[in-house]
Amino acid sequence: MTAAPFLALLLSPILAAAGALVLPPRWRTASVLHAGLGLISLLAALRFVALVLDGWTPTWGATVLFRVDALSALLAACVAFVAALAALLGPCLGPDDHYTPAQVRRFRVFSSLFAFTMLVAVTANNVGVMWIAIEATTIASAVIVPLTVTKASVEASWKYILIGSVGIALAFVGTVLGYFDFVTLVGQREYALNWTVLLANAPVLHPPVIQLAFVFILIGYGTKAGLAPMHTWLPDAHSEAPSALSAMMSGVLLAVALYAIVRWKAVVTAAVGHQFPNRLLIGLGLLSLAIAALSLVIQRQYKRLLAYSSIEHTGLMCLGLALGPLGVFASMLHLVNHTLAKSMMFFVSGRILDRYGSPEIGRVSGLLRVMPWTGGLFAAGMIALLGLPPFGMFLSKFALVRAGFADGKGWLMAAVLALLAVAFVSLLAHLNRMLYGPAPDGIRRGESGGWAVVPLVACATMLVGLGIAVPAPITELLGRIVEIAGR
Amino acid sequence: MSPWLLGPVQAALALLLAPGLVGAIRWMKARLQNRSGAPPWQPYLELRKLFAKEVVVSNNASWLFRAAPFIVFGSTVAVTLLVPLLAVPLPFDGAGDLLVVVYLLLLGTFFLALAGLDPGSPFGGMGASREMTVAALAEPTMALAIFALAWSAGSTNLGHIAARVLATPTEALAPGHVLAFAAIFVVTLAETGRLPVDNPATHLELTMIHEAMVLEYSGRYLALIEWAAALKLLVFFTLLGNLFAPWGIAAALTPGALLWAVLTLALKLLALGGVVALVETHIAKLRLFRVPELLSASFILALLAVTASFLLR
Amino acid sequence: MSPELVSQLSVGGSTLVLLAGLAMLWRRGVRAHIGAFTAQSVALAATTAMVGWFTGDWQLWAVAALLLLIKGVGIPILLERMARRFGTERELEPYVNTATSLLVGGLLVLLAYLVTARLVSVSQLPTRTGMPLAMGLVFVSLFVIISRKKALTQVLGFLMLENAVALLAVLGTHGIPIIVEIGVFLDVALGFIVMQVFVYQIHETFESIDVEQLNRLRE
Repeated sequence: MTAAPFLALLLSPILAAAGALVLPPRWRTASVLHAGLGLISLLAALRFVALVLDGWTPTWGATVLFRVDALSALLAACVAFVAALAALLGPCLGPDDHYTPAQVRRFRVFSSLFAFTMLVAVTANNVGVMWIAIEATTIASAVIVPLTVTKASVEASWKYILIGSVGIALAFVGTVLGYFDFVTLVGQREYALNWTVLLANAPVLHPPVIQLAFVFILIGYGTKAGLAPMHTWLPDAHSEAPSALSAMMSGVLLAVALYAIVRWKAVVTAAVGHQFPNRLLIGLGLLSLAIAALSLVIQRQYKRLLAYSSIEHTGLMCLGLALGPLGVFASMLHLVNHTLAKSMMFFVSGRILDRYGSPEIGRVSGLLRVMPWTGGLFAAGMIALLGLPPFGMFLSKFALVRAGFADGKGWLMAAVLALLAVAFVSLLAHLNRMLYGPAPDGIRRGESGGWAVVPLVACATMLVGLGIAVPAPITELLGRIVEIAGR
Repeated sequence: MSPWLLGPVQAALALLLAPGLVGAIRWMKARLQNRSGAPPWQPYLELRKLFAKEVVVSNNASWLFRAAPFIVFGSTVAVTLLVPLLAVPLPFDGAGDLLVVVYLLLLGTFFLALAGLDPGSPFGGMGASREMTVAALAEPTMALAIFALAWSAGSTNLGHIAARVLATPTEALAPGHVLAFAAIFVVTLAETGRLPVDNPATHLELTMIHEAMVLEYSGRYLALIEWAAALKLLVFFTLLGNLFAPWGIAAALTPGALLWAVLTLALKLLALGGVVALVETHIAKLRLFRVPELLSASFILALLAVTASFLLR
Repeated sequence: MSPELVSQLSVGGSTLVLLAGLAMLWRRGVRAHIGAFTAQSVALAATTAMVGWFTGDWQLWAVAALLLLIKGVGIPILLERMARRFGTERELEPYVNTATSLLVGGLLVLLAYLVTARLVSVSQLPTRTGMPLAMGLVFVSLFVIISRKKALTQVLGFLMLENAVALLAVLGTHGIPIIVEIGVFLDVALGFIVMQVFVYQIHETFESIDVEQLNRLRE
């Protein structure tokens, strides 16, 4: 396999970071270069998707350091997509922007590094390298959470980096325990930490050790994914960060953490059967869903609202993973939908924040009158997150609930539906408050930087497309993923 | 020599050496502090003086006040019959082991505390309550440390514990042993009223613990109590020395072996005394509410000693 | 080097590492905490070197040297600098007082022993005897992070957690593959540097590094 797609995928963010470091931020060329490199990364990821659909499994590196199968390809595409959007719509675009050149430069450098680390995490074959990359994502993103230094953003970033790093360290304990078991059985090997090797040897691993390892892994990566009760950093970090960063964090970082959980679940299921991991996943998923749904009621800031919605959806995805092959399919479809919807919503909320100057829901009203396109997109995104047709989330939620009933977990699905109803009502209420009503005085009307709306409209269109009929390539891809993820 | 004679000989030796030990520590401290200090045999002179003086007893005191010095002295002397001062195995092995030793010492502390409360003086009450706090916290540590030692030796019998270390010298450096040593060292400082828990040389009543309990005593009662305190210090040092580094203990009851045992014992006592003198010169007294922190730390050391012995059995 | 001696030294080394961790619960003052961390890193490096000697694996020697350099010398120097800036702050009573903290620490060590019993029974390596203590340190570090009020102490708790995992890896697996090891080092060093920057930021924004002040974001 040639190294070209790998280089294109992974080198572009590095070059983007280097470029942002060297070139003056306000230069037209610098912005174009930055966006262009993001696009190249996206094209490389799509190429991987095509290769995987053709039946290839591209690998790279001496000890098979990088390996792209269906799951990696899907996630790489998601990451590259949101990263490209962030490069396009991030700071320093349009006259409304209020960031200093130093801030813009810092944002570009670290968001590119952030994208790079996420791409490495999903394409690495080595469990250890994946861990290193995910730890690096915490560091890279934490640096730019307090892009504008306020008491709130400093507090948010501190909680994020502390809780995130502690969680990742616990995930490392789990990784070491898994490796420990392998070493006890087979002896030390250079490639022992590769997924393929772990999966192959899974049936002979000692159940008690693997169970302990999975508990640590779930707690560790669950912290990054925003599963309760380790979610306390999420609302703060996602609401205080600049919107483009929030989009990347909510949209794909949570997905990457979930990716790690899916991989380990496959190993653990092969080792101890599906009862144990499923029970844990259902427990955490349900708890996250419950806490998020109930917290949505009392939210007063729209970005925090979106953050809690992310926790809710991550909980749903986690739950879906435990409901058998149908559940895994639904869960992964939900992942794609959520990435699109959530990142779009954060970009839109960034525009709202720029215009209205306040993060409070109470201060934002008459959105449809002030910024028709932005308001429309906000409404569309919110309806998508609620799980209503014609958006894709409806299909994935429906599939998830159906998978739950098929798996014999009727009571669980009843609880899930009840919680989703609570979330539905609160989100709708907040949405109505923001969309309608008189516009506050002193707010300028009309869209600013109109062209920035175009990619977001494209996102919404894709969501509708996914809602009407899931395209064949995606179904094919998801089917492969179900095989990889185990039962 | 008949083995049954060993007991009284040990007791007599301990009684003889104890005041000298206290005097030696005082002398070493003085030297470290650049003073000339009293000669090491000063405590003997003090005891002789006290035995000659008259006894003054408060009107409020009961029979307990008069009985306590004898109980304390008696229990401490009984302990010297049970610790491996000179030789193993001991004649009273069947009667006592490490737990009996610890609880005999606690008996003495208990009665001393009661005697502090008896005359109804406020300082006595204060000293008694403080002493009980310290004892209550030091007790579990001692028990756990003993447990750690007993685990690796297979029995709480002192002779067996000492014999085990003699048999496998590398056991002495086992993590469980080292931790137990550290824990018992802290307990020694606490139970015998040394810095940083209690200053034996203080004359400020509000900072006293042990001294406050015996403020009301005079004459031969005070002499007995002081002697018992010195004996307690010697017993603890003997435990530290002969359980953790038992080389020099006589296995047979020949005069040569016994003489060698006495010499090595004296050496260990002086060494430990030197360490205590150093510690006392170096550290300031802890405020009372910090003492539980120190004792909790020693408790954790003892706990780790148990787990370490358990892990390596 | 006989396996029994290695067992003893493993337990000895792990005990020292754990004791340094417990010292964080016992001593107050940032200087004492930094001293405890330095002692812990040195003990960890020594244990790694010992395992390296036993297995004859030169990579472990390299790892031990890195540990000593980065965590035994480099990070403490940076911490000292921070302590000089913030060390003169008033002593903060932690959420849980010292005596109780120590007792909880002891209980956590016992819990770790229960949890890792299955691990120790599975392995054949002579160094496995120290693993429960390493896991104990994981729990104790988590407790330190939760119960302390100064941001600097929380950073130290995190560094101790990383030390604990490194010890677990060395004792249980005789070292993880070298690429991963180097990556972990870089991660920890970078993470620490970023945390350091944040502590400075907190100090500038809030005029103190008391974590209780970070309470504006609720719900």
